[in-house]
Amino acid sequence: MKMMKKMMMIAGILLIIAPMALVAQGQKESDGVELTFMINFQPTEAVTAALEDAVELFEEENPMISIDLIAGSADYEALMKSKMAANDLPDMWSTHGWSVMRYSEYLMPLEDQPWADDLHPAIEPVITDKEGHIYVLPLDVDVAGVAYNKDVMERAGVDVRTIKTWSDLYVAMEKIKAIGVTPVHIGGKDFWTVGNFFDWAAPSVYVTDERNYSGDDLKAGTFDTDKWELLAELFRDLYDRGYLNVDSLTSTYADSARALANGEAALEFYGNYVLAEAWTYNPDANLGFFPVPAYYAGDEPTLISGERSTVGIWKDTEYPQEAKLFLEFLATPSVMASIATANAIPAGLTTAVSDTGRLQDDYATWGSSEAFPYFDREFLPSGMWDTMCSTGSGILSGDMSTSEAAEKMLDDFSRLYQF
Amino acid sequence: MNYDHDRRAVLPEYQHEHRSLIAKLRGRPHITNIMYLPALCFFLVFVVYPFAEGIRISFTNWNGFSQSYRYVGGDNFIRLISDGNLMQALRNTLIYGFGSTIFQQIFGLAYALLLNSHFRGRTLARTLIYLPVLIAPVIMGYMWYFMFQYSHGALNDLTAAFGMVPKDWLATGDRAVVIIVLVNTLQFCGISMVIYLAGLQTIPVTYYEAAQIDGASTRSQFLNITIPMLRPSIITSMTLNLIGGLKLFDAIKALTNGGPGYASHSVSTLIDYTYFRNQSAGYSAAMGILLFLLIMAVSLIFQWVSSRKEIDL
Amino acid sequence: MMIQRRSYPWIKSVVAVLIGVIHFIPLYITITVALKPKTDMSSRWFLPTSVDIGNFLYAIEKAKIFNAMKNSVVITLFSVVIIIAVGAMAAYPIARNRSRINTLVQFFILAVMMVPPLSMLVPLVTIMARIGGISTYWGIISVLVTFQLPISIFLYSNFIRTIPRELDEAALIDACSPFAIFYRIILPLLKPVTATVIILTGVNIWNDFQFSLFLLQAQQSRVVTLAVSTFFAQSSSNFGAAAAAALIAVLPISLMFLFLQRYFIQGMVDSAVKG
Repeated sequence: MKMMKKMMMIAGILLIIAPMALVAQGQKESDGVELTFMINFQPTEAVTAALEDAVELFEEENPMISIDLIAGSADYEALMKSKMAANDLPDMWSTHGWSVMRYSEYLMPLEDQPWADDLHPAIEPVITDKEGHIYVLPLDVDVAGVAYNKDVMERAGVDVRTIKTWSDLYVAMEKIKAIGVTPVHIGGKDFWTVGNFFDWAAPSVYVTDERNYSGDDLKAGTFDTDKWELLAELFRDLYDRGYLNVDSLTSTYADSARALANGEAALEFYGNYVLAEAWTYNPDANLGFFPVPAYYAGDEPTLISGERSTVGIWKDTEYPQEAKLFLEFLATPSVMASIATANAIPAGLTTAVSDTGRLQDDYATWGSSEAFPYFDREFLPSGMWDTMCSTGSGILSGDMSTSEAAEKMLDDFSRLYQF
Repeated sequence: MNYDHDRRAVLPEYQHEHRSLIAKLRGRPHITNIMYLPALCFFLVFVVYPFAEGIRISFTNWNGFSQSYRYVGGDNFIRLISDGNLMQALRNTLIYGFGSTIFQQIFGLAYALLLNSHFRGRTLARTLIYLPVLIAPVIMGYMWYFMFQYSHGALNDLTAAFGMVPKDWLATGDRAVVIIVLVNTLQFCGISMVIYLAGLQTIPVTYYEAAQIDGASTRSQFLNITIPMLRPSIITSMTLNLIGGLKLFDAIKALTNGGPGYASHSVSTLIDYTYFRNQSAGYSAAMGILLFLLIMAVSLIFQWVSSRKEIDL
Repeated sequence: MMIQRRSYPWIKSVVAVLIGVIHFIPLYITITVALKPKTDMSSRWFLPTSVDIGNFLYAIEKAKIFNAMKNSVVITLFSVVIIIAVGAMAAYPIARNRSRINTLVQFFILAVMMVPPLSMLVPLVTIMARIGGISTYWGIISVLVTFQLPISIFLYSNFIRTIPRELDEAALIDACSPFAIFYRIILPLLKPVTATVIILTGVNIWNDFQFSLFLLQAQQSRVVTLAVSTFFAQSSSNFGAAAAAALIAVLPISLMFLFLQRYFIQGMVDSAVKG
């Protein structure tokens, strides 16, 4: 009988004290400056550990500044969007490929920083906007091609150096299929893995070949649906010819990584991060990458470059000087090298040299190929990425014809371009 | 507020000797209304205001994160009508809502009837059936994903043991929708079971004894005693399941993420997709209002059909 | 009541346990996944040949699951207590006073249950940011309380309607104020239904993902569901660690249920089913 009354009393007291007690809890006692730094990487990733080390070193050197490094939540992009909407951003955050198109409204221009002259040539165009501003410090460059399992290719008798065009690649896939291995793995439950194919293939149709260049048209708001249909057919061919994994619509990116690691799949259209992930399943897998083939005869294979790890500063931060100091610290060659090494990709500044480990040979072989930025980020309005993913899935599931996919692309292109 | 009107309406129910005192009680009962003010404050700040904001956003072309946007009138609402993906999601939402409600009643009632007697293993079974209710739906969804996955999925391992060809269970839209309904049912039928178990315990045993003396069959006892006596339980259970099913979100995210294509999206997951992925916050907000109206309409119809008394809040 | 039948009780036992086992399958699979290292590719039906607790250690260390557990406990406790207090209080006038305003209030509370949280998430985050409630206990507690209040009011008001009015009236003769009637007469009777409220809302709050994701951003403020979900991220999935974290997360709530089970079913009998 008394229990409920007690409960009520406790509740009453709680209601009165709680706001005070909890507010007090929320505020941290600190002398000096505390900066918040949010990153999209999960606590489990190697690059997170490298950044944690860097933060620790920085705090030792600058005892008056402490940095609260917040590693990725389950849905970093949605979280950041809600924070932008509320205009309540961390002092610094990573921009996972969207420094210009999505985040620039909220970021501080940094082209006047001392490190800005040493940008890696492959990353410079990617992070520079129309007016020539740059908003982030790139810690590394995501230069990649088609990820592949070297042992499988050898068994199938394919020499990747002979693959110049998409038709060469399709011939190779036929050979791979013949030895009973899935030529290409896509983890279509994770929508982005479908869109990624188009990011990989689109440059070869739209921009890499000078005779067929439509980059300026795209930027001026003209979308060529015929070319997109070519791409969509390229994609549907993968499916029609049985080159894709059976569960291409329901498997995940993690499955892709595992299939590549175990030699169940030969090729994948992801950045080199997939190799790092695959090695967690099978540390002995013999993996590498080669450039994306050309679409038009006579054109050359190319690489894809993009942002991987980048840091920008909120334009309304209370502590711009301290944040810039931290970026300068990250830009020092030794610090940057250690972070880029964690991702096993080249460093974002020419002053730093990273250890690309087992991929060193591939970087040496293909390093001279021309690199193009992620297609959607460079040539399509913000928001198109998801149309690429969903129309691709539509093609796979048979809900959309290639021409319908191209039409949908045009619709969204026009709507988003106006915005 | 006209209190006199109310007093007249209610008074006849209370033919009581302390009529004057009752009248006194009747005369000032509404003082206690201030007791729901704290609750209303919570609702005003954290539901009404944000929801009103949502309505305002639905008239804009906002992308969900920029500080700039413009008002586009009713464009978003016009777009609702001609959106094929939305129609698909609406259809799925109704299937999720009604499908899981129906299955949950069948499973819940069957389990309750089975467990409504003393035998060994009864508590164990009841606990095992209820256990999934306690697990976060998003986690439960992933647990089921371990089952339905094509490669290394537990279900395919099992069928392979019987010599069957592995199947990509979630690859066709219709099958994915059915699987999601079943997963949701298996997770939450424990709630229906407990409600029905409780309901069964309120039926006086003498009713059955009398029926047995009259020679009524088990089937007719079930139809003429159990079901009518369980009416309040059925309504309570169905109301909870229906609202839950129409708002279904986590299980879909974990199992198919709305795919293949758009085939298994519910309106909830489509709202999420449109807001955060497609960058059409304004349009997404319009969908939110549509979903609210849909749930409201379904609930009101359900309430009306199942008579007003029992469902009275 | 129990239906008396002369069937074979062991058949029932077998059937019931079989059903229970079927419901347990996903959990079982989760256990085998959690006990195997990432490199173990054997079927998920088999238990590992040697128990590997690496996933559990990894989950505890990387997701800081114990800190998350502490946050979840604090948030759930405070929320549930407030839900009980505010809910019981609100239910009393709603159950006892019939007027047009109160019908409206009831309808309004029912409507709150139907609002899809997604459709107001971003405005909610914006308000919270403005009043400084992001990553604070009070911020997330207020929101969670708001969304669980309707169900608590629903259960309490149903229950209060089953309490004879004569009790109130007798108290009135003893010159009790209406508030004293609630505090002295009604409140002590609410114990069984309170167990139901604790379990239903407690589970929902413990398991909340969506609001926590957006409102608890600082690392040290994260709750259990967020800790588990970091392993399911699209960029890098670690199913073993995820499964281990999920099992750890499920444990406390399961224990609470086992402990309150008896009251819970009693509460159901006394409230929900009588309408």
